[in-house]
Amino acid sequence: MDLRGLVRRTAMNRPAVLAVTLPGATELRLEAEAEVRRRGWPVAGAPAAADLLVVCGVPAPEDAEWLDRIERSMPEPAVRVVVEDSGQVDHALGMASRDLTDRAVTPRGGHMDDRSEAPVGEPGDNQRGEHEGHGDEHGHGAHHDNSPPAAPEGRGHDDHGMGHSHGGHAAHSGHEGHGHHRPADHAAHMGHMDHQGHGDHLDHQGHGGPMDHMGHGIHAMGEVAGLPMAERADDRDELRLDQLHVPLGPGLSDWPAGLVLRLTLQGDVVQGVEVDHLPVASGPRPPFWDEPWLRAAHGEEVTRGEAVRRRCAAHLDSAGRLLALVGWDDVAVRCRRLRDELLAGAWREGIGGDLRRTVRRVGRSRSLRWSIAGLGELPADRARAAGVTGPALAADGDVYDRLLMWLTEVERGVEEVDDTRPLAPDDRIGPRGRLDGPRPPSQVLLDVLPGLLTGAEFACARIIVASLDPDLDELALATVPGAAHA
Amino acid sequence: MPDAAPLWAAVVLPVALVVAAVVTAGFDAVLSGSAERGPAGGVREAGLRATAPLREALRLLVQQPRRTTAADRLLGRLGVVLVPVAAVLAGAVLPWGFCAVSDPSVGIVWFNAMEALAWAAVWLAGWGPNSALSLIGGYRFLAQGLAYELPHMFAITTAALGAESLRVGDVVAAQDGLWFAVWMPAAFVVYLLSALAMAFWGPFGHPLSRDAAGGAEAELAGVDRLVFLGGRWLLLVVTAGFSVPLFLGGGHGPLLPGWAWTLLKTAAVLALLVAGRRALPVLRMERYMELAWMVLVPLTLLQALFVAVVVLNR
Amino acid sequence: MDAWQPMLVLLGVVGAGLVGLYGLGLWLAAARAPLETGPFAGGLEPGEHAVSRFHVRWYPVTMIFLAFDMEMLFMYPWVKVVSEVGTTAVVEMFLFLGILFAAVAYAWREGALRWT
Repeated sequence: MDLRGLVRRTAMNRPAVLAVTLPGATELRLEAEAEVRRRGWPVAGAPAAADLLVVCGVPAPEDAEWLDRIERSMPEPAVRVVVEDSGQVDHALGMASRDLTDRAVTPRGGHMDDRSEAPVGEPGDNQRGEHEGHGDEHGHGAHHDNSPPAAPEGRGHDDHGMGHSHGGHAAHSGHEGHGHHRPADHAAHMGHMDHQGHGDHLDHQGHGGPMDHMGHGIHAMGEVAGLPMAERADDRDELRLDQLHVPLGPGLSDWPAGLVLRLTLQGDVVQGVEVDHLPVASGPRPPFWDEPWLRAAHGEEVTRGEAVRRRCAAHLDSAGRLLALVGWDDVAVRCRRLRDELLAGAWREGIGGDLRRTVRRVGRSRSLRWSIAGLGELPADRARAAGVTGPALAADGDVYDRLLMWLTEVERGVEEVDDTRPLAPDDRIGPRGRLDGPRPPSQVLLDVLPGLLTGAEFACARIIVASLDPDLDELALATVPGAAHA
Repeated sequence: MPDAAPLWAAVVLPVALVVAAVVTAGFDAVLSGSAERGPAGGVREAGLRATAPLREALRLLVQQPRRTTAADRLLGRLGVVLVPVAAVLAGAVLPWGFCAVSDPSVGIVWFNAMEALAWAAVWLAGWGPNSALSLIGGYRFLAQGLAYELPHMFAITTAALGAESLRVGDVVAAQDGLWFAVWMPAAFVVYLLSALAMAFWGPFGHPLSRDAAGGAEAELAGVDRLVFLGGRWLLLVVTAGFSVPLFLGGGHGPLLPGWAWTLLKTAAVLALLVAGRRALPVLRMERYMELAWMVLVPLTLLQALFVAVVVLNR
Repeated sequence: MDAWQPMLVLLGVVGAGLVGLYGLGLWLAAARAPLETGPFAGGLEPGEHAVSRFHVRWYPVTMIFLAFDMEMLFMYPWVKVVSEVGTTAVVEMFLFLGILFAAVAYAWREGALRWT
């Protein structure tokens, strides 16, 4: 066996994972995180570092474009996996890992090779065929349907069909499948298809000269490689400075699933912000973090312990995210571990000590307080006026106060996780606020975002977003039982 | 007093630094692993976790090279490569026991000059890929440089002042009796802080922070990424290692030979930094700048004044 | 100049090591031709190229930094002559540093060290 193959195989034993969560897939995200952690795989924060793109949730047709964009910017060997149903993560990751090894061991050459290969069918095909026999219950045959159902926007992608003649499109609609697995041949096919129509300019990319990148033809002045250069605009101090328009999300890590912030940046100052999000479909299941209360509202039997457990886990999740963003990984990963233990049903005695230690560690850290105090001030009166109800209102202060409020609720809540009395059906206070208000609590949090973010530094902006941690799953709560008489 | 090392030491040094970097990164991985997944079940699992950096390096070697649209490849690549180059060249004046690859009469200035290359390196690496997030990361390091560099320079000149020489060998020789760390504690602590800042690692990792999807490293893949991040570990090892000749008496110590003391002390400093990092969140410069200028600068100045008075009176 | 000869050798060794590493990467890479792609900010395409005139709000800090940094040029040779020159060396140096620091304190009071 050749040395090179052996090394490549070994390298892919431990692929780096970029996990992207779609709205409504919180539970899948938690499962994926736990599974990745169990396998000891590293987590990447950007496609450049990643080998494996794990998409949690059912992609809507609109999602195809940005998911493809992320996948296309991952260097080979790269594979995308879509996890659509709970319980499938382990299987999907296992297959993806095998696929990655295959891709690494039988490398593609340059793009030229790919093009000539493509119509004939490429070497990976056989292996893919095997997978179908693995008994994963997809309803569709074509596995590598990595082409988007809709051509990603109208930038010269009409040459879409060329270069990959694997008719995977139709299969896309037949997605009831589970734990779906798409060994995406991105670099080989669609990864570069947008270039393929335009001759071989790939070879002289990067010279910085104007070039016809995405089929735009000759551009208006000022465009380089299909994008304009930054223009100046007034800033808050009435200086004229270069301005960048950067849409943040939805594929960032430690980021509310589905959130898109269209930032106007000058340097690293957020000059303007437009809150946007991916379409949130109301699925068959209620938002994961609000589930106990909503089920109780529907008359189901839910224990108080169960609700408290979910609230604590939600807060630990949010706190873990915030702590990861402020760069305190050690505590962030502990929060996440505790969250998973809570959701897995750990007893109070089993988890209480660990939990209190972690909470106290955060509370005692003066450097943390010094580092984030004063960011994102949201006094109670302003919060109330905006309609905020949950811990963000009770915290009555800045990012640090909100973090402490979560942790206080967690510490208090952990005493009651084994409470078996039924949850009162009129208790509608979820982790992020009143579920029976006129708007879902996360919608309110989204509404207060622009006011808090404008003028903040980029780093602060991300910390502020994490300190409110809107849960976009809640936007599907169109009709909350009891909302009418709130 | 310091011997001139044979020329082959120039080949051994990079290898030794890489080994030290791998061991340090492995130790860090073990600590991270136990926070993330609980303490290792046994020696075998701990060993597996400790090899994480090596396996990560292997993974990056297998990755396809990657570039971004209209990137400034020359400058970006230059920034990436500068990190390990600066680290190893700064390491040239690190005495191993009492013997360094080179011990020029201005060794301390040389060290300072080499590590200052990190400014250029991180900024260039952030600028190169033509990506907003990596640009933000690159600029963060410039702000960081403005905050750490002055206290850092005062700290190392304080050590040089104690020996009245800019030659590293002389600084070590001057600590035959009493380590500088004992009577220049403020300079020592500030030096350790700035060592972290220079290596843009741990609490000073904001230029490569998660919130900007990796900042200056966001668009780096494959070997570029390996060189940049590996170079960062080298930089950490070298800067932490340089605190030994500056403040901890270099190879001086009872019983053991000089090289063993150097090794022990360097390992102790690195272990302290790697373990201590877990107690702190990342420091953002908009907060740290004020602390650096209004507390650390006067503190190191007073320390230097104290040392100057001692030097005058001995 | 024999102190600098090892530096050159070292530079050569590091350079060779880096070339070797890149070569090894090329040999092992799953695909050799570089991937050409857009920048990442979460998956959506940015409005402009990122290379731009960056709004550096800590600009005043760079100015005071430069002043202090120039001062270091004096301080390096100074450490070698402190006991030789005697008290005047120390007095002069710290008077100079004191004046510089007064400027820093003024800048701080004016808010130059804060920018958010």
